[in-house]
Amino acid sequence: MTGSAISYFFMAWTDMSLLFLTAIGTFAGIYIGAIPGLSVTMAVSILISFTFSWDVNAALALMVGVFCGGVYGGSRSAILLNIPGAPASIATSFDGFPLAQRGEAGQAIGISTIVSGIGGFLGIIVLAVAAPTVAEFALKFAPRDYLLLALMGLLLVGSLSGESMAKGVFAGALGVTLGMVGMDPMTAEGRFTFGYVSLLGGIHFVVAMIGLFGVSEALFQLHSINLKPVKQDVSKIVPSWKVILKYLPISLRCSLIGVIIGALPGTGGDIASLMAYDHAKRTVKNPSRPFGQGAYEGLIAPESANNAAVGGAYIPMLTLGIPGDAVTAVFIGALYIHGLKPGPMMMIDTPYMFWFMVGNLVLANTFMVLFGLTGIKIFARLVEVKKGILIPCIIVLSIVGTYAINNSMTDVYWMLCFGVCGYLLKMFGYQVAPIILGIILGPLMDQSYRRAIMSTEHNFGLFLLDLVKNPLTCVLTIVVLFMIISNTRLWPKLLGMFSSTKRS
Amino acid sequence: MVGKKSLGLMIMLAVLVYAVAAGAAGFPERNLQGIIMWGAGGGTDGVSRAITPNVEPILGKEIVMVNKPGGTGAIATQFVHSSASDGYTLLFGAENPQLYGVLELSKLSYNDFYPVNILARGQVVIIANNDTPWKSLKELVADAQKRPGKIKMGSTGPGGVPYVVGMLMKTVTGFDVAPVPFDGDGPGITALLGGHVDFIPVNLGAASEHIRAGRVRPLAVVDSKELVGNGYTVPPITQDFPEFGKYVPWGPFFGVWCKNDVPDEAKKVLVEAFKKGAATDRFKDFVASKEAVLMNISGDEADKYLKKWQSVTTWLLQDAGATKVSPADLGIPRP
Repeated sequence: MTGSAISYFFMAWTDMSLLFLTAIGTFAGIYIGAIPGLSVTMAVSILISFTFSWDVNAALALMVGVFCGGVYGGSRSAILLNIPGAPASIATSFDGFPLAQRGEAGQAIGISTIVSGIGGFLGIIVLAVAAPTVAEFALKFAPRDYLLLALMGLLLVGSLSGESMAKGVFAGALGVTLGMVGMDPMTAEGRFTFGYVSLLGGIHFVVAMIGLFGVSEALFQLHSINLKPVKQDVSKIVPSWKVILKYLPISLRCSLIGVIIGALPGTGGDIASLMAYDHAKRTVKNPSRPFGQGAYEGLIAPESANNAAVGGAYIPMLTLGIPGDAVTAVFIGALYIHGLKPGPMMMIDTPYMFWFMVGNLVLANTFMVLFGLTGIKIFARLVEVKKGILIPCIIVLSIVGTYAINNSMTDVYWMLCFGVCGYLLKMFGYQVAPIILGIILGPLMDQSYRRAIMSTEHNFGLFLLDLVKNPLTCVLTIVVLFMIISNTRLWPKLLGMFSSTKRS
Repeated sequence: MVGKKSLGLMIMLAVLVYAVAAGAAGFPERNLQGIIMWGAGGGTDGVSRAITPNVEPILGKEIVMVNKPGGTGAIATQFVHSSASDGYTLLFGAENPQLYGVLELSKLSYNDFYPVNILARGQVVIIANNDTPWKSLKELVADAQKRPGKIKMGSTGPGGVPYVVGMLMKTVTGFDVAPVPFDGDGPGITALLGGHVDFIPVNLGAASEHIRAGRVRPLAVVDSKELVGNGYTVPPITQDFPEFGKYVPWGPFFGVWCKNDVPDEAKKVLVEAFKKGAATDRFKDFVASKEAVLMNISGDEADKYLKKWQSVTTWLLQDAGATKVSPADLGIPRP
């Protein structure tokens, strides 16, 4: 039994064709991930048809590679161009892009590759040793807990507001409102659709992301089109052991956040990386530079978390047949097509599949680090390209990527509109990141709240009682309250009162 | 002059004849496009991606699959309806368009499309959390009548399978439970496993492995016959409540449609290709593993099935007071 588990674990390592497929998948995944709009979900679902006649192991090897590579690849464009290649790398751009602007794009990519690897491996370790326990824990999260998680995420607006808190709150609220557009999934009622069928699907948050980050940044850079691009220092791209060890604690903490958020069936890498960024910002007292201006901690946190979320997302998929995110939902479909039955019985009926996938993930992660560390020099030089050439390329890429999401021109119009609005907002000192935060977390908050209140027969008193009655919920409530109170003027006074009572 | 004119006419005629001949013999001349009305990873997506590789070798061309989710499929339906009527754009969908009219989502329904093939239909089971005391549907209903509004039922938005079956149960038994809508079968079962809802009607395909593992308790199958699964049996819903008889078997279905005014030659090619594709062992195995029932029907037979489904379901929702437009206003006859 143990012997066969080990042999399945190393199956992808020893079989040349599987090894090759994993490598190809990872390599392709990095580039798919780097192009905004081309999502891993889309790539994996195309691969289902492509690998239909293949052996299940070969098909999985390729798909796992694309998954791992794709999640990592999103950081490339976030760092170099300020366009997150995927929603999971939105937080990466907060400090990654300022680093590139300082001429440290090479180092930024180097360290993000290493911590992505650390995050990835931690995720796999948790998957391998504690999958059933974590899965049961994830099931405990009730709608009210998702509401509290969404609230925690939204409080990040405070850290992303830039010069003015009021402007940040406005941007966040705008995002939440935009997130409401489309068919209300609970009542099938159109919200803000003005009777248009094309608006029923809502505004895809990747559309907003590409417009607000990509196009608006491109427009903004037109102001400095004749400025000479920053010379990139590409001498020390692979970080030294000393550097890695220095950032290891924060990387591990954020990886842990990533695994848990990834394992929750309602949340994925995008929310995990935002929470990790928030965690870093609150806990790191002396960052290498202020957050938002190129702090390495601000880059490490989301990059560790989003790759750890991959292992996390596998946990409910392999133990319960429940997808941990959009990509694992497609994986479940692929397993069915290849005659496997993902569900609680898979670990019992076909335990070798579990070990094959774990082994395959380890392999894909190794390739991810290897491929990630090669070719950085060429990539970093991308930032040195003349802006007159680079800016049109960014806009073309944004349009193609947006069209690819749903093959819809409506999305392209939305994206361009977001680009222009984002540019204007930037001109007036508003940050665009809170808008995206609102679009992602608004619907989660809205639906979770309504589910929670429906579960208590629309009784608000009972709902409040629920927030403190259950131990897990109570902890989350306290965290949210702490996050709010610790940022008000009340906090120092409270601390003062506490210490004075202790003294007396 | 006359010579030139007749030459021109002859050329035009030749081109026309060639075009007609090519049209008749040549479909499909290029790759087709398949629009899936639900997102990647869902039930419709799975069936669509499982059937196409079996059909492509028969057609001799590829079907490029695209997910166009949104508005419970209304956007994809609209998209295919406004594409060219040449048979190159296919709609891969589920039962949802049959309810667009009464829910006021869109003016379209499958009456505006030609059923190339209704591939399979799903079975629905009512499952309960293991911590609940109910051993049968009767006990659940009795408990619900004892404490109205206290029992939590996992549901979806209007039109989803758990939603419709919930309405069906309400109509027949008159029980009063608190529905909590989730995004679909998967999230609903997750909430059931975590104890956040007490019971949920879902697709058997999504629930069967959990039943087999003993993690949830099946109470009834929405059918008049007992369900014999892999290592478990589920009593029919009509055992405790014979009044369900006129509605069952009820469940979702999956299929392929093209526009009504596609040329007959193209329709014929498509129907034959999908008929053969759905009869392959690989597809049959897939349907069996999803615990669905293979249908593989097309043309008039499929049309009849669709009309009956629409009539039963829309009037059921009407009687439960869950419609915005009466099926009578849409010309849907009462079953």
